[in-house]
Amino acid sequence: MSNAPVIANGQTVSGSAADASAPVRIAVKDLNFYYGSFHGLKNVNLNFHDRQVTALIGPSGCGKSTLLRTFNRIYSLYPEQRAEGQILLDGVNILDSKVDLNDLRSRVGMVFQKPTPFPMSIYDNVAFGLRLYEKLPKSELDDRVESALRKGALWDEVKDKLKQSGMGLSGGQQQRLCIARTVAQRPEVILFDEPTSALDPISTGRIEELIEQLRSEFTIAIVTHNMQQAARISQFTAFMYLGELIEFGPTNRIFMNPEKRQTQDYITGRFG
Amino acid sequence: MTALTDQIALTASQPATRRGPSKGGDAVFRAAAYGSALLVLFVLAGILGSIIYGGWPAFREFGFGFLTSSAWNIGTEQYGALVAVTGTLASALLALLIGVPISLGIAVYLTQLCPGWARKPVGMTIELLASVPSIIYGMWGLFIFAPLFARFVQVPVSNLVEGMPVVGTLLYARVPSGVGVLTAGIILAIMIVPFVASIARDMLDQIPTVLRESAYGIGCTTWEVVRHVLVPQASVSIIGAIMLGLGRALGETMAVTFVIGNANRLSASVFDPGSTIASRIANEFNEADGMQLNALMALGCILFVITFIVLIIARLLTRRVKAA
Repeated sequence: MSNAPVIANGQTVSGSAADASAPVRIAVKDLNFYYGSFHGLKNVNLNFHDRQVTALIGPSGCGKSTLLRTFNRIYSLYPEQRAEGQILLDGVNILDSKVDLNDLRSRVGMVFQKPTPFPMSIYDNVAFGLRLYEKLPKSELDDRVESALRKGALWDEVKDKLKQSGMGLSGGQQQRLCIARTVAQRPEVILFDEPTSALDPISTGRIEELIEQLRSEFTIAIVTHNMQQAARISQFTAFMYLGELIEFGPTNRIFMNPEKRQTQDYITGRFG
Repeated sequence: MTALTDQIALTASQPATRRGPSKGGDAVFRAAAYGSALLVLFVLAGILGSIIYGGWPAFREFGFGFLTSSAWNIGTEQYGALVAVTGTLASALLALLIGVPISLGIAVYLTQLCPGWARKPVGMTIELLASVPSIIYGMWGLFIFAPLFARFVQVPVSNLVEGMPVVGTLLYARVPSGVGVLTAGIILAIMIVPFVASIARDMLDQIPTVLRESAYGIGCTTWEVVRHVLVPQASVSIIGAIMLGLGRALGETMAVTFVIGNANRLSASVFDPGSTIASRIANEFNEADGMQLNALMALGCILFVITFIVLIIARLLTRRVKAA
């Protein structure tokens, strides 16, 4: 059988081509992950390139979220979870026990499945993360908040109600607020864990556009169940199955011409 | 379609095999349920009515002055609620001041820091505190805690602050006996901790994991997560929990009667003995008659009103959370 184009409805694969010559921001080496005695990731080796969007796809339980959660070590909130191997962020192994987790998490931001505004005003939601790490004069803080909200494509909608609670926004706005909050800290990497799974199609479209724009400044990793989404916004795609990395490469090639049978079966919808 | 009709016809033709529901039994059941519910209302109305009726002569005799007078003189039949009301509010507020931070600490520890295997035993131990009868707290407070408190806290602190402005009054014990308003506050604090801590723990547990993770995810320390995200998120229900604790502290009788000293004296020092509405009633009810009994009933009315208001506020706050 031929490698038929897998994206339905005549949608094209990613607007911009993968740049494999971009420097490597995150290098994953022989990563194994355990939930107690369950072996969640098996010998994963993978590079994330600077200012590229890398999509992690695969059926539920394949380990894609687990992999994402190792990059800011959020898993270490749970004592029974542990990772072995190496994850080099700019050449430094972040799995090393000497790594300062708070500092790491300000460098590697994360946006979650559900919008998670903090119980404070819209302004404070963005300023909160900034105040943790930088002592800024009020005027500069205002500027940073505005610029973050602009990058989150939210400024025009909230500029007149910055003092109102962030909980009062719509789901899509809340998620953009969370992105603005992450962007404000000027991280190097932004992790998206199914950022649109709780949103309607219009909000989803806006978030996707936003990720496309953010790529010019940040290295982005995104977990998604939506294969069209992976094809639309990513330059690289990693397909995972049962805790193993099955195939990794430029999104174009993965979707148009996958090397592995399992990858092809998954993206053509034969299992998943 | 036809099958269905057939079956109905079949049932109808054999009425003897199936007894219809007993209409009479159902009516009895409904009446019994209604009756049980109404009974509670009647009892409540009866209690309220009888203490208002009993206290009325005192309110009529002393008017608004009953609330502002600190007299309690059985010989001259002069009665006022000020000392008891002040003692009630002061001991309850001290209990909150001491008990709430400890309760929040316990709740945060149990939900955020405690290793999984220890959560159940530690949580159970705290809930066990709630099952200690208040008379036990009273006895322990009077015979064991109060002497130690006098020796290791009241005496050294009084010596230290003597002559100083403000604290010299607030923390000076004229007779360091160990009993007093602060002692009552401390015992009450121990008694409300299990209630406030377990409600606050449940509220913190209900906060979605992603919110907590995203707070850690922007690089917060545990303190920052708790202080700026988790506690504000649960704030309204935590205030509700505190109000429930306050309601309990206001009405607690036995333990307080043992350790507060039962003096009808208005003192600015928290080390001095005082009395609360509940302790006053418990102490004097046996021998009271005439106007003294009326005055005690009137005190009861005031306590009822205070706790009722506190419980309504607590209810409103916890309900608002459920609706949100």
